[in-house]
Amino acid sequence: MSARILVVDDDPAISEMIGIVLSGEGFDPSFAADGPAALERFREGRPDLVLLDLMLPGIDGIEVCRSIRAESGVPIIMLTAKGDPADVVDGLESGADDYVVKPFNPKELVARIRARLRPALPETGETIGIGDLVIDVVGHEVRRGGTRIPLTPLEFQLLLALAAKPNQVFTREMLLEQVWGYHYKADTRLVNVHVQRLRAKVELDPDSPRIVTTVRGVGYRAGAVG
Amino acid sequence: MRLDWRAWLESLGRLWRGSLQVRTVALTVLLSTIAVTAIGFYILTSVRTNLFESRRDQLVSEAERAVLAARDEFTNVGGRDLDAVQFDAFEAIQSTVSTGPSIGMFRAPGQSGPAVMDTLYVGALSRIALSDGFTRSLVDGGEGRLSWQSIAIPAETGDGAASPGLAFGSLVDVPQAGRYELVIVYDLSDLQRTLDFVAGTLVAGGAALIVLIAIVSYVVVRLVVGPVRRAAATSEKLAAGRLEERLAERGDDELATLARSFNRMADSLQSQIRRLAELSRLQQRFVSDVSHELRTPLTTIRLAGDVLYDRREDFPPATARTAELLHDQVQRFETLLADLLEMSRYDAGAVELETEPTNLVRLVEDVMESVRPLAEERGTELRIVAPGGYFEVEVDARRIRRIVQNLLGNAIDHGEGRPVIVYVDSDASSVAIAVRDYGVGLEPAQLERVFDRFWRADPSRQRRTGGTGLGLAISQEDAGLHGGEIDVWSEPGRGSCFRLTLPRVPGDGLRSRPLDLPPDDAIELQEADPADAEPSETDAEARA
Repeated sequence: MSARILVVDDDPAISEMIGIVLSGEGFDPSFAADGPAALERFREGRPDLVLLDLMLPGIDGIEVCRSIRAESGVPIIMLTAKGDPADVVDGLESGADDYVVKPFNPKELVARIRARLRPALPETGETIGIGDLVIDVVGHEVRRGGTRIPLTPLEFQLLLALAAKPNQVFTREMLLEQVWGYHYKADTRLVNVHVQRLRAKVELDPDSPRIVTTVRGVGYRAGAVG
Repeated sequence: MRLDWRAWLESLGRLWRGSLQVRTVALTVLLSTIAVTAIGFYILTSVRTNLFESRRDQLVSEAERAVLAARDEFTNVGGRDLDAVQFDAFEAIQSTVSTGPSIGMFRAPGQSGPAVMDTLYVGALSRIALSDGFTRSLVDGGEGRLSWQSIAIPAETGDGAASPGLAFGSLVDVPQAGRYELVIVYDLSDLQRTLDFVAGTLVAGGAALIVLIAIVSYVVVRLVVGPVRRAAATSEKLAAGRLEERLAERGDDELATLARSFNRMADSLQSQIRRLAELSRLQQRFVSDVSHELRTPLTTIRLAGDVLYDRREDFPPATARTAELLHDQVQRFETLLADLLEMSRYDAGAVELETEPTNLVRLVEDVMESVRPLAEERGTELRIVAPGGYFEVEVDARRIRRIVQNLLGNAIDHGEGRPVIVYVDSDASSVAIAVRDYGVGLEPAQLERVFDRFWRADPSRQRRTGGTGLGLAISQEDAGLHGGEIDVWSEPGRGSCFRLTLPRVPGDGLRSRPLDLPPDDAIELQEADPADAEPSETDAEARA
């Protein structure tokens, strides 16, 4: 079955063109032109991935992103027209997994979509322990004691990448490559924002993290430094 | 101890340089001290001279009378005993003069014959050694002439203390006994006491005057410096961005004028800055709007063009070529738009650094990796020379990457397929990246324009990196934003070297340059044929 992708953009030409590209790659696109329609389509269609323009009439893209994220961990890729760096951070903080800057070429878009739909998971056993957390790799679940911690697929993948090699310090670039599937992409904000989001969910005290710790000047690693 | 002294001197120096008030008061006190001392000295000298001269004149006439009286005694010796006559003469002198001087008679030197009459003296003369000059002047002056001299009269206690005195002397002819020096010495210690008192009064008065001047100048300077200090503090606040700060305007004097004109200046600054801020905001807004409005259709065009491009093999040749042209030009348009927007963001002052600790060597390697397809197409070998260990540097990695990408792209474009070497080095305060190519190089006239917008070394040249002519201008702005700069060395036929130097901490001035320009090999190759201008083997071996 082909993956269903919800395309949210207020410009019909872009939507149609993206639709042509996605259909050509074997995806099943559906469309929404504004925020309320996007939420409606999302709820009735349960797509496998959302392509979301940040500049929308009505509810803006950030708000839509937040609403979707509140009810689902579905991968969200933002389409952003602005070159303004603050926008990207706003979008990532509202729950987007990745972003593509307009104008983009079709290969880039498809590559980003595929990376989010078929994450490359590290080869590990069935469960991994990290701190007081247990990661069920097969069941895509993270538990602390008996409580299940809800993570988005991306957050799960990020935690798993770190936990799979607890002795290794990961640079932001390594994580970009492993988790987001980027090569030579410099935007480490992706990593920073998502580590913050992950910490907010898995750490008992996000201000003094014990699960995902920062190695100053290098990157991150799982567990305490030392 | 010595260090303490130095530190003390240093803090004094700081106080001196740092406070107009201290300086003014100190200078006023110093100058008035000099003036008061000079005046006091003059007063004292003229008082002393006057007192002394009037006393001397009085004593001269007195001494003359005394000498006359003594001579009278000696002219009427008759048959009396000389010693008795001498005693009478002394009596006569003492009755003539007002105060009790010391009197003495000494036999004048240079006489033959026995000393019939003894030397006699009364009072302090026993302690006084009359100078040779004085006695000689008596002898030379001859009988009847009165000589005088200032002398010091040692105190009776003999502890070295002395009081001033005046000695009068005259030759007296004593019948049968020859010539004698008659000496009368007056003690002037009362005069000295008067002078001491005057001097004491002058010193006390002068000191009081100086203290008064110090206080007055302190108060006056305070009156003037106070408002100046307030103005300085206010302009300091203005400079720090608190544009609403103003000075209080009171009265009509010069200081009020200063305050008024200062406030007017601040008003105009504030309105100018507001206007500029508004302009900048509008510009930013415009850039943002244009960016969005242009990019939306461009995104569709780009997607459509790429879809066509990917299928060009299915098309007839003319349509396929059209798809290719469309694809290339859309890409060019896109780069141009991105560069234009970036440039206008710089012009609007709407850029901010987003620094993070970055390993420059790794960054350079990444960029090299990304331009490798282009380099391979051109047959250009890429090398990195990075001696030494590296700590991470706080930079905006995105911008530095863009700079390096741009420099590398240019080097490959103009490198004629010869190797391109990237040097990375650092020292305590700065880091540097230099991109060296051995290509066509630039003429001096071209070198001057290399950072100009839309300027290209050779407009007809085939551009593989799709240069917009804005690349170096943007790179220069990116470097400037970090407080660093890009400079360049180039010679026709010998290649170019673009050097980026950044301070380790953004915004710290550039204090040193870890890499040299022109590059070392440019000096070595000074005599070499341009065609041989290949990097030496040592460079390749030094590869990190």
